[in-house]
Amino acid sequence: MTAPLPERLNTDHGHRFDASRRWDASLELGFIHSGGATRLKRCHHHGPLRVQRPFYPEGEVCHVYLLHPPGGLVSGDRLAISAHVAEGAQALLTTPAAAKLYRADSHGVAWQQHTRLDVEDGGLLEWLPQETIAFDGSKGRQSVEIALSGNARCLGWEAMALGRPASRLPFESGRIEQHFRLVRDGRPLWIERQPLDPHHPRFHGRWGQGGHAVQATLWAVGLPDMKLAVETLREHIAPSTRWAVTVRLDVLLLRYLGDELNEARALCHEAWALLRPLLAGREACPPRIWFT
Amino acid sequence: MNTDLGLLGLLQLVSPALPIGAFAWSQGLESAFELGWVHDEASLGAWLAGVLDDGLARLELPVLARQHAAWQAQDGALLYQWNAWLLANRETRELVEEDVQLGTALVRLLKGLDMLPAHGLMAQPAYVTMFAYTAQARGVAARQAMLGFGWAWLENQLAVACKALPLGQSAAQRLIEQLRPRLVAAIDDAERWEDNDLGPALPGLALASAWHETQYSRLFRS
Repeated sequence: MTAPLPERLNTDHGHRFDASRRWDASLELGFIHSGGATRLKRCHHHGPLRVQRPFYPEGEVCHVYLLHPPGGLVSGDRLAISAHVAEGAQALLTTPAAAKLYRADSHGVAWQQHTRLDVEDGGLLEWLPQETIAFDGSKGRQSVEIALSGNARCLGWEAMALGRPASRLPFESGRIEQHFRLVRDGRPLWIERQPLDPHHPRFHGRWGQGGHAVQATLWAVGLPDMKLAVETLREHIAPSTRWAVTVRLDVLLLRYLGDELNEARALCHEAWALLRPLLAGREACPPRIWFT
Repeated sequence: MNTDLGLLGLLQLVSPALPIGAFAWSQGLESAFELGWVHDEASLGAWLAGVLDDGLARLELPVLARQHAAWQAQDGALLYQWNAWLLANRETRELVEEDVQLGTALVRLLKGLDMLPAHGLMAQPAYVTMFAYTAQARGVAARQAMLGFGWAWLENQLAVACKALPLGQSAAQRLIEQLRPRLVAAIDDAERWEDNDLGPALPGLALASAWHETQYSRLFRS
Protein backbone atom coordinates (compact mmCIF):
# COMPACT_ATOMS: atom_id res chain seq x y z
CA MET A 1 0.00 0.00 0.00
CA THR A 2 1.35 3.41 -0.93
CA ALA A 3 1.32 6.06 1.75
CA PRO A 4 -0.47 9.21 0.58
CA LEU A 5 1.77 12.16 -0.14
CA PRO A 6 1.85 14.71 2.64
CA GLU A 7 -0.84 17.25 1.91
CA ARG A 8 1.68 20.09 1.78
CA LEU A 9 3.25 18.66 -1.35
CA ASN A 10 -0.09 18.59 -3.11
CA THR A 11 -1.13 22.10 -2.29
CA ASP A 12 1.86 24.31 -1.58
CA HIS A 13 4.34 24.66 -4.36
CA GLY A 14 5.95 27.12 -6.67
CA HIS A 15 3.70 26.43 -9.64
CA ARG A 16 0.56 27.91 -8.23
CA PHE A 17 -0.08 31.60 -8.45
CA ASP A 18 -2.21 32.46 -5.48
CA ALA A 19 -1.68 33.31 -1.85
CA SER A 20 -0.56 29.75 -1.04
CA ARG A 21 2.30 29.85 -3.50
CA ARG A 22 5.30 28.51 -1.68
CA TRP A 23 8.63 26.99 -2.60
CA ASP A 24 10.98 25.86 0.11
CA ALA A 25 14.69 25.37 -0.16
CA SER A 26 17.10 24.69 2.65
CA LEU A 27 20.73 23.95 3.22
CA GLU A 28 22.41 22.74 6.38
CA LEU A 29 26.17 22.75 6.68
CA GLY A 30 28.30 21.42 9.53
CA PHE A 31 32.04 22.04 9.83
CA ILE A 32 34.41 20.23 12.17
CA HIS A 33 38.10 20.52 12.93
CA SER A 34 39.93 17.29 12.31
CA GLY A 35 43.47 16.35 11.37
CA GLY A 36 44.73 19.93 11.23
CA ALA A 37 42.05 21.16 8.83
CA THR A 38 38.38 22.02 8.72
CA ARG A 39 36.10 19.49 7.07
CA LEU A 40 32.61 19.87 5.73
CA LYS A 41 31.18 17.05 7.78
CA ARG A 42 27.51 17.55 7.14
CA CYS A 43 25.81 18.87 4.04
CA HIS A 44 22.10 18.40 3.71
CA HIS A 45 19.99 20.17 1.13
CA HIS A 46 16.40 20.38 0.11
CA GLY A 47 15.22 22.13 -3.04
CA PRO A 48 17.39 24.42 -5.18
CA LEU A 49 20.20 25.23 -2.76
CA ARG A 50 23.56 23.50 -3.15
CA VAL A 51 27.22 23.76 -2.42
CA GLN A 52 30.17 22.97 -4.62
CA ARG A 53 32.93 20.84 -3.17
CA PRO A 54 34.88 22.76 -0.52
CA PHE A 55 38.08 24.61 -1.48
CA TYR A 56 41.22 25.00 0.57
CA PRO A 57 43.02 27.94 -1.09
CA GLU A 58 44.80 28.82 2.14
CA GLY A 59 45.23 25.45 3.77
CA GLU A 60 43.36 25.28 7.02
CA VAL A 61 40.23 27.31 6.28
CA CYS A 62 37.39 25.59 4.44
CA HIS A 63 35.92 27.81 1.68
CA VAL A 64 32.44 26.95 0.47
CA TYR A 65 30.34 28.53 -2.29
CA LEU A 66 26.60 28.48 -1.76
CA LEU A 67 24.69 28.04 -4.98
CA HIS A 68 21.09 29.00 -5.55
CA PRO A 69 20.58 28.21 -9.24
CA PRO A 70 17.39 30.31 -9.62
CA GLY A 71 19.60 33.29 -8.65
CA GLY A 72 16.85 35.20 -6.92
CA LEU A 73 13.75 35.10 -4.83
CA VAL A 74 10.19 35.45 -6.01
CA SER A 75 6.92 35.48 -4.12
CA GLY A 76 6.49 32.42 -1.95
CA ASP A 77 10.14 31.37 -1.89
CA ARG A 78 11.41 30.34 1.49
CA LEU A 79 15.15 29.88 1.79
CA ALA A 80 16.74 28.62 4.97
CA ILE A 81 20.50 28.36 5.29
CA SER A 82 22.21 27.12 8.41
CA ALA A 83 25.87 26.64 9.13
CA HIS A 84 27.33 25.11 12.25
CA VAL A 85 31.03 25.54 12.98
CA ALA A 86 32.30 23.19 15.70
CA GLU A 87 35.08 23.89 18.17
CA GLY A 88 38.27 25.03 16.49
CA ALA A 89 36.90 24.80 12.92
CA GLN A 90 37.29 27.68 10.44
CA ALA A 91 34.95 28.20 7.52
CA LEU A 92 34.39 30.90 4.93
CA LEU A 93 31.09 31.01 3.06
CA THR A 94 30.31 33.10 0.02
CA THR A 95 28.07 33.13 -3.05
CA PRO A 96 29.00 33.24 -6.74
CA ALA A 97 26.78 36.18 -7.69
CA ALA A 98 24.45 38.89 -6.40
CA ALA A 99 21.10 37.61 -5.18
CA LYS A 100 18.02 39.24 -6.68
CA LEU A 101 14.73 39.88 -4.99
CA TYR A 102 12.08 40.08 -7.69
CA ARG A 103 8.86 42.05 -7.74
CA ALA A 104 6.05 40.43 -5.77
CA ASP A 105 3.33 38.63 -7.74
CA SER A 106 -0.17 40.04 -8.19
CA HIS A 107 -1.18 38.57 -4.82
CA GLY A 108 1.65 40.39 -3.08
CA VAL A 109 2.98 37.16 -1.58
CA ALA A 110 6.23 37.68 0.30
CA TRP A 111 9.47 35.69 0.20
CA GLN A 112 11.58 34.78 3.20
CA GLN A 113 15.25 34.14 3.63
CA HIS A 114 16.61 32.99 6.93
CA THR A 115 20.27 32.42 7.74
CA ARG A 116 21.34 30.81 10.98
CA LEU A 117 25.04 30.77 11.90
CA ASP A 118 26.23 28.79 14.92
CA VAL A 119 29.84 28.99 16.02
CA GLU A 120 31.29 27.02 18.92
CA ASP A 121 34.13 28.02 21.23
CA GLY A 122 37.35 28.64 19.30
CA GLY A 123 35.60 28.38 15.93
CA LEU A 124 35.65 31.02 13.20
CA LEU A 125 33.00 31.69 10.59
CA GLU A 126 33.23 34.26 7.82
CA TRP A 127 29.89 34.95 6.14
CA LEU A 128 30.69 36.91 3.01
CA PRO A 129 27.77 36.68 0.57
CA GLN A 130 27.70 38.85 -2.51
CA GLU A 131 25.17 41.65 -2.41
CA THR A 132 21.41 41.50 -2.64
CA ILE A 133 19.51 43.58 -5.21
CA ALA A 134 15.89 44.25 -4.35
CA PHE A 135 13.82 45.08 -7.42
CA ASP A 136 11.04 47.59 -7.12
CA GLY A 137 7.94 45.93 -5.66
CA SER A 138 9.83 43.19 -3.88
CA LYS A 139 8.26 42.01 -0.64
CA GLY A 140 9.95 39.86 1.91
CA ARG A 141 11.87 39.26 5.07
CA GLN A 142 15.58 38.57 5.33
CA SER A 143 16.97 37.52 8.68
CA VAL A 144 20.41 36.61 9.94
CA GLU A 145 20.72 34.95 13.32
CA ILE A 146 24.15 34.39 14.83
CA ALA A 147 24.61 32.23 17.93
CA LEU A 148 28.09 32.09 19.46
CA SER A 149 29.50 30.09 22.35
CA GLY A 150 32.52 30.92 24.46
CA ASN A 151 35.28 32.51 22.40
CA ALA A 152 33.70 31.95 19.00
CA ARG A 153 34.62 34.45 16.29
CA CYS A 154 32.43 35.61 13.44
CA LEU A 155 32.68 38.24 10.74
CA GLY A 156 29.99 38.82 8.18
CA TRP A 157 28.16 41.33 6.09
CA GLU A 158 24.96 42.01 4.23
CA ALA A 159 24.88 44.60 1.47
CA MET A 160 21.62 45.55 -0.19
CA ALA A 161 20.64 47.77 -3.09
CA LEU A 162 17.06 48.97 -3.20
CA GLY A 163 15.86 49.21 -6.75
CA ARG A 164 18.39 49.39 -9.54
CA PRO A 165 20.00 52.81 -9.18
CA ALA A 166 22.29 52.25 -12.18
CA SER A 167 19.26 51.69 -14.44
CA ARG A 168 17.31 54.51 -12.80
CA LEU A 169 14.72 52.07 -11.52
CA PRO A 170 14.13 53.19 -7.97
CA PHE A 171 12.51 51.21 -5.17
CA GLU A 172 9.08 52.87 -5.08
CA SER A 173 6.85 50.12 -3.77
CA GLY A 174 7.12 46.89 -1.85
CA ARG A 175 8.45 46.26 1.62
CA ILE A 176 11.51 44.48 2.89
CA GLU A 177 12.41 43.74 6.47
CA GLN A 178 15.95 42.95 7.38
CA HIS A 179 16.67 41.43 10.79
CA PHE A 180 19.89 40.76 12.64
CA ARG A 181 20.18 38.99 15.94
CA LEU A 182 23.49 38.04 17.53
CA VAL A 183 23.73 36.21 20.85
CA ARG A 184 26.69 34.91 22.80
CA ASP A 185 26.03 32.14 25.33
CA GLY A 186 22.36 33.05 25.17
CA ARG A 187 22.79 36.76 25.87
CA PRO A 188 21.62 39.06 23.07
CA LEU A 189 24.37 41.49 22.04
CA TRP A 190 23.04 42.93 18.82
CA ILE A 191 19.46 43.10 17.62
CA GLU A 192 18.41 45.13 14.63
CA ARG A 193 15.19 45.34 12.68
CA GLN A 194 15.26 47.33 9.50
CA PRO A 195 11.89 47.85 7.81
CA LEU A 196 12.40 49.25 4.31
CA ASP A 197 9.17 50.76 3.15
CA PRO A 198 9.38 53.56 0.56
CA HIS A 199 6.06 55.00 1.75
CA HIS A 200 7.17 55.48 5.34
CA PRO A 201 8.70 58.83 6.42
CA ARG A 202 11.66 56.87 7.82
CA PHE A 203 12.66 55.94 4.25
CA HIS A 204 13.42 59.54 3.31
CA GLY A 205 14.05 61.17 6.69
CA ARG A 206 17.60 61.93 7.74
CA TRP A 207 17.19 59.98 10.98
CA GLY A 208 16.26 56.95 8.89
CA GLN A 209 17.32 55.83 5.44
CA GLY A 210 17.79 59.38 4.14
CA GLY A 211 16.44 58.34 0.73
CA HIS A 212 19.56 56.27 0.06
CA ALA A 213 19.37 53.26 -2.20
CA VAL A 214 22.29 51.22 -0.92
CA GLN A 215 23.12 50.05 2.55
CA ALA A 216 25.58 47.62 4.03
CA THR A 217 26.32 46.33 7.51
CA LEU A 218 29.47 44.47 8.48
CA TRP A 219 29.79 42.85 11.90
CA ALA A 220 32.79 41.33 13.65
CA VAL A 221 32.88 39.59 17.02
CA GLY A 222 35.69 37.89 18.88
CA LEU A 223 38.41 40.42 18.00
CA PRO A 224 41.02 40.32 20.77
CA ASP A 225 41.54 44.10 20.68
CA MET A 226 38.42 46.00 19.65
CA LYS A 227 40.01 49.43 20.07
CA LEU A 228 42.85 48.53 17.73
CA ALA A 229 40.35 47.18 15.19
CA VAL A 230 38.36 50.43 15.15
CA GLU A 231 41.51 52.56 14.95
CA THR A 232 42.83 50.44 12.08
CA LEU A 233 39.63 50.91 10.07
CA ARG A 234 39.48 54.66 10.74
CA GLU A 235 43.12 55.10 9.84
CA HIS A 236 43.18 53.16 6.58
CA ILE A 237 39.78 53.60 4.98
CA ALA A 238 39.18 56.96 3.30
CA PRO A 239 36.85 58.97 5.54
CA SER A 240 33.41 59.70 4.16
CA THR A 241 30.04 60.62 5.59
CA ARG A 242 28.67 57.45 3.97
CA TRP A 243 30.26 55.02 6.43
CA ALA A 244 31.03 54.81 10.14
CA VAL A 245 32.25 52.21 12.58
CA THR A 246 31.51 51.61 16.24
CA VAL A 247 31.91 48.90 18.87
CA ARG A 248 29.12 48.21 21.31
CA LEU A 249 28.69 45.22 23.63
CA ASP A 250 31.82 43.66 22.07
CA VAL A 251 30.33 43.70 18.58
CA LEU A 252 32.04 45.79 15.92
CA LEU A 253 29.56 47.30 13.47
CA LEU A 254 30.52 49.08 10.28
CA ARG A 255 27.65 50.67 8.40
CA TYR A 256 27.34 52.12 4.93
CA LEU A 257 24.51 54.29 3.72
CA GLY A 258 24.83 55.70 0.24
CA ASP A 259 23.92 55.12 -3.39
CA GLU A 260 26.75 53.12 -4.93
CA LEU A 261 26.78 49.36 -4.69
CA ASN A 262 30.40 49.27 -5.87
CA GLU A 263 31.38 51.62 -3.08
CA ALA A 264 29.58 49.53 -0.45
CA ARG A 265 31.17 46.33 -1.75
CA ALA A 266 34.66 47.88 -1.85
CA LEU A 267 34.20 49.17 1.70
CA CYS A 268 33.24 45.72 3.00
CA HIS A 269 36.15 44.06 1.17
CA GLU A 270 38.62 46.64 2.46
CA ALA A 271 37.36 46.36 6.04
CA TRP A 272 37.56 42.57 5.84
CA ALA A 273 41.14 42.75 4.57
CA LEU A 274 42.06 45.02 7.48
CA LEU A 275 40.24 43.03 10.14
CA ARG A 276 41.16 39.50 9.11
CA PRO A 277 44.76 39.60 10.36
CA LEU A 278 43.42 40.86 13.71
CA LEU A 279 40.59 38.34 13.87
CA ALA A 280 42.10 35.24 12.32
CA GLY A 281 45.84 35.92 12.31
CA ARG A 282 46.00 35.59 8.53
CA GLU A 283 45.81 37.83 5.50
CA ALA A 284 42.58 38.06 3.53
CA CYS A 285 42.29 35.46 0.80
CA PRO A 286 39.50 36.73 -1.46
CA PRO A 287 37.52 33.88 -3.02
CA ARG A 288 38.34 33.61 -6.73
CA ILE A 289 34.67 33.57 -7.62
CA TRP A 290 34.39 37.28 -6.71
CA PHE A 291 36.53 38.09 -9.74
CA THR A 292 34.78 35.96 -12.34
CA MET B 1 -1.15 55.39 46.49
CA ASN B 2 -1.77 59.12 46.77
CA THR B 3 -1.98 60.52 43.20
CA ASP B 4 -0.75 63.96 44.27
CA LEU B 5 2.39 62.38 45.68
CA GLY B 6 2.72 60.30 42.51
CA LEU B 7 2.53 63.40 40.28
CA LEU B 8 5.15 65.18 42.34
CA GLY B 9 7.33 62.07 42.28
CA LEU B 10 7.11 62.05 38.47
CA LEU B 11 7.96 65.77 38.24
CA GLN B 12 10.97 65.12 40.47
CA LEU B 13 12.07 62.24 38.21
CA VAL B 14 11.81 64.21 34.93
CA SER B 15 13.26 67.45 36.26
CA PRO B 16 16.45 68.64 34.49
CA ALA B 17 17.72 69.22 38.06
CA LEU B 18 17.74 65.45 38.74
CA PRO B 19 21.43 64.82 39.44
CA ILE B 20 22.11 62.05 36.89
CA GLY B 21 23.79 64.18 34.24
CA ALA B 22 21.22 63.74 31.43
CA PHE B 23 22.15 67.20 30.08
CA ALA B 24 25.53 65.85 28.92
CA TRP B 25 24.08 63.54 26.23
CA SER B 26 22.67 64.50 22.81
CA GLN B 27 21.79 61.10 21.26
CA GLY B 28 23.51 61.87 17.97
CA LEU B 29 21.85 65.27 17.62
CA GLU B 30 25.12 67.19 17.97
CA SER B 31 26.50 65.16 15.09
CA ALA B 32 23.38 65.85 12.99
CA PHE B 33 24.13 69.59 13.46
CA GLU B 34 27.75 69.09 12.43
CA LEU B 35 26.66 67.23 9.27
CA GLY B 36 24.18 69.95 8.41
CA TRP B 37 21.28 67.50 8.52
CA VAL B 38 19.63 69.58 11.21
CA HIS B 39 20.24 73.30 10.76
CA ASP B 40 17.13 75.24 11.78
CA GLU B 41 13.81 75.08 13.58
CA ALA B 42 12.03 73.24 10.75
CA SER B 43 14.69 70.57 10.21
CA LEU B 44 14.98 70.08 13.97
CA GLY B 45 11.21 69.60 14.22
CA ALA B 46 11.32 66.96 11.46
CA TRP B 47 14.25 65.15 13.09
CA LEU B 48 12.61 65.11 16.53
CA ALA B 49 9.25 63.96 15.13
CA GLY B 50 10.98 61.16 13.24
CA VAL B 51 13.01 59.99 16.22
CA LEU B 52 9.90 60.16 18.37
CA ASP B 53 7.78 58.04 15.99
CA ASP B 54 10.41 55.49 14.94
CA GLY B 55 12.70 55.56 17.94
CA LEU B 56 10.99 56.34 21.25
CA ALA B 57 7.55 54.97 20.31
CA ARG B 58 9.10 51.68 19.19
CA LEU B 59 11.86 51.26 21.71
CA GLU B 60 12.14 53.24 24.95
CA LEU B 61 8.43 53.82 25.59
CA PRO B 62 7.14 50.28 25.02
CA VAL B 63 10.07 48.84 26.99
CA LEU B 64 9.34 51.33 29.77
CA ALA B 65 5.75 50.04 29.98
CA ARG B 66 6.97 46.42 29.99
CA GLN B 67 9.56 47.13 32.70
CA HIS B 68 7.01 49.03 34.77
CA ALA B 69 4.80 45.92 34.76
CA ALA B 70 7.78 43.65 35.44
CA TRP B 71 8.84 45.70 38.49
CA GLN B 72 5.27 45.61 39.72
CA ALA B 73 5.18 41.82 39.33
CA GLN B 74 8.72 41.55 40.75
CA ASP B 75 9.61 39.36 37.77
CA GLY B 76 13.42 39.40 37.80
CA ALA B 77 13.78 37.22 34.70
CA LEU B 78 11.56 39.50 32.63
CA LEU B 79 13.36 42.62 33.87
CA TYR B 80 16.69 41.11 32.88
CA GLN B 81 15.36 40.03 29.50
CA TRP B 82 13.97 43.44 28.46
CA ASN B 83 17.02 45.23 29.83
CA ALA B 84 19.32 43.05 27.70
CA TRP B 85 17.00 43.40 24.70
CA LEU B 86 17.04 47.18 24.94
CA LEU B 87 20.83 47.42 25.18
CA ALA B 88 21.25 44.98 22.25
CA ASN B 89 19.12 47.36 20.16
CA ARG B 90 21.39 50.34 20.83
CA GLU B 91 23.16 51.00 17.54
CA THR B 92 26.42 52.57 18.74
CA ARG B 93 28.91 52.73 21.60
CA GLU B 94 27.74 56.17 22.77
CA LEU B 95 24.08 55.19 22.74
CA VAL B 96 24.83 52.13 24.92
CA GLU B 97 27.01 54.25 27.23
CA GLU B 98 24.35 56.91 27.60
CA ASP B 99 21.75 54.34 28.60
CA VAL B 100 23.98 52.46 31.05
CA GLN B 101 25.59 55.54 32.61
CA LEU B 102 22.27 57.29 33.21
CA GLY B 103 20.87 54.02 34.58
CA THR B 104 23.84 53.62 36.91
CA ALA B 105 23.62 57.26 38.03
CA LEU B 106 19.94 56.75 38.83
CA VAL B 107 20.78 53.64 40.88
CA ARG B 108 23.33 55.72 42.83
CA LEU B 109 20.76 58.40 43.46
CA LEU B 110 18.16 55.85 44.61
CA LYS B 111 20.71 54.34 46.96
CA GLY B 112 21.26 57.77 48.53
CA LEU B 113 17.49 58.07 48.96
CA ASP B 114 17.30 54.59 50.47
CA MET B 115 14.98 53.59 47.63
CA LEU B 116 16.89 50.75 45.96
CA PRO B 117 14.80 47.79 44.84
CA ALA B 118 15.12 44.81 47.15
CA HIS B 119 15.17 42.39 44.20
CA GLY B 120 15.69 42.47 40.46
CA LEU B 121 18.57 44.93 40.07
CA MET B 122 20.87 43.82 37.23
CA ALA B 123 24.56 44.55 36.60
CA GLN B 124 24.04 46.97 33.69
CA PRO B 125 20.70 48.63 34.28
CA ALA B 126 19.47 50.72 31.37
CA TYR B 127 18.11 54.19 32.15
CA VAL B 128 14.68 53.04 30.93
CA THR B 129 14.69 50.11 33.38
CA MET B 130 15.54 52.33 36.36
CA PHE B 131 13.16 55.09 35.25
CA ALA B 132 10.42 52.45 35.21
CA TYR B 133 11.42 51.29 38.69
CA THR B 134 11.45 54.79 40.18
CA ALA B 135 8.09 55.67 38.67
CA GLN B 136 6.55 52.41 39.81
CA ALA B 137 7.98 52.77 43.32
CA ARG B 138 6.45 56.25 43.56
CA GLY B 139 3.04 55.05 42.47
CA VAL B 140 3.15 56.60 38.98
CA ALA B 141 1.01 54.70 36.46
CA ALA B 142 2.74 53.30 33.34
CA ARG B 143 1.12 55.77 30.93
CA GLN B 144 2.09 58.76 33.06
CA ALA B 145 5.60 57.38 33.35
CA MET B 146 5.77 57.19 29.53
CA LEU B 147 4.51 60.77 29.21
CA GLY B 148 7.13 61.89 31.70
CA PHE B 149 9.91 59.99 29.94
CA GLY B 150 8.94 61.43 26.54
CA TRP B 151 8.71 64.91 27.99
CA ALA B 152 12.15 64.68 29.61
CA TRP B 153 13.59 63.49 26.28
CA LEU B 154 12.00 66.37 24.37
CA GLU B 155 13.15 68.99 26.85
CA ASN B 156 16.66 67.59 26.87
CA GLN B 157 16.92 67.47 23.06
CA LEU B 158 15.74 71.08 22.86
CA ALA B 159 18.27 72.11 25.53
CA VAL B 160 20.96 70.49 23.34
CA ALA B 161 19.71 72.48 20.35
CA CYS B 162 19.60 75.75 22.33
CA LYS B 163 23.24 75.25 23.31
CA ALA B 164 24.74 73.82 20.14
CA LEU B 165 22.71 74.92 17.11
CA PRO B 166 21.96 77.46 18.59
CA LEU B 167 18.18 77.54 18.71
CA GLY B 168 16.33 80.46 20.31
CA GLN B 169 14.22 79.94 23.43
CA SER B 170 11.02 81.02 21.63
CA ALA B 171 11.69 78.63 18.78
CA ALA B 172 12.16 75.85 21.35
CA GLN B 173 8.76 76.69 22.86
CA ARG B 174 7.16 76.68 19.39
CA LEU B 175 8.57 73.20 18.80
CA ILE B 176 7.20 71.99 22.12
CA GLU B 177 3.75 73.30 21.16
CA GLN B 178 4.03 71.49 17.85
CA LEU B 179 5.37 68.21 19.28
CA ARG B 180 3.23 67.86 22.41
CA PRO B 181 0.33 66.23 20.54
CA ARG B 182 2.78 63.97 18.71
CA LEU B 183 4.21 62.87 22.03
CA VAL B 184 0.74 61.78 23.12
CA ALA B 185 0.24 60.00 19.78
CA ALA B 186 3.63 58.28 20.20
CA ILE B 187 2.50 56.93 23.57
CA ASP B 188 -0.78 55.70 22.05
CA ASP B 189 1.33 53.88 19.44
CA ALA B 190 3.75 52.54 22.03
CA GLU B 191 0.86 51.02 23.98
CA ARG B 192 -0.42 49.31 20.84
CA TRP B 193 2.75 47.68 19.48
CA GLU B 194 3.28 43.97 19.98
CA ASP B 195 6.75 42.68 20.83
CA ASN B 196 7.44 41.89 17.16
CA ASP B 197 6.74 45.49 16.09
CA LEU B 198 9.43 46.94 18.32
CA GLY B 199 12.86 48.25 17.56
CA PRO B 200 13.37 49.51 14.01
CA ALA B 201 16.96 50.67 13.67
CA LEU B 202 17.43 54.27 12.56
CA PRO B 203 20.32 54.14 10.06
CA GLY B 204 20.85 57.89 9.82
CA LEU B 205 20.88 58.35 13.59
CA ALA B 206 23.21 55.35 13.92
CA LEU B 207 25.70 56.83 11.43
CA ALA B 208 25.53 60.26 13.07
CA SER B 209 26.10 58.74 16.50
CA ALA B 210 29.07 56.66 15.32
CA TRP B 211 30.67 59.72 13.66
CA HIS B 212 30.26 61.59 16.90
CA GLU B 213 32.95 59.34 18.39
CA THR B 214 35.50 61.16 16.23
CA GLN B 215 33.86 64.59 16.01
CA TYR B 216 36.62 67.14 16.59
CA SER B 217 34.78 69.71 18.62
CA ARG B 218 32.01 68.46 20.87
CA LEU B 219 29.98 69.68 23.80
CA PHE B 220 28.14 66.43 24.47
CA ARG B 221 29.05 62.86 25.30
CA SER B 222 26.78 61.35 22.64
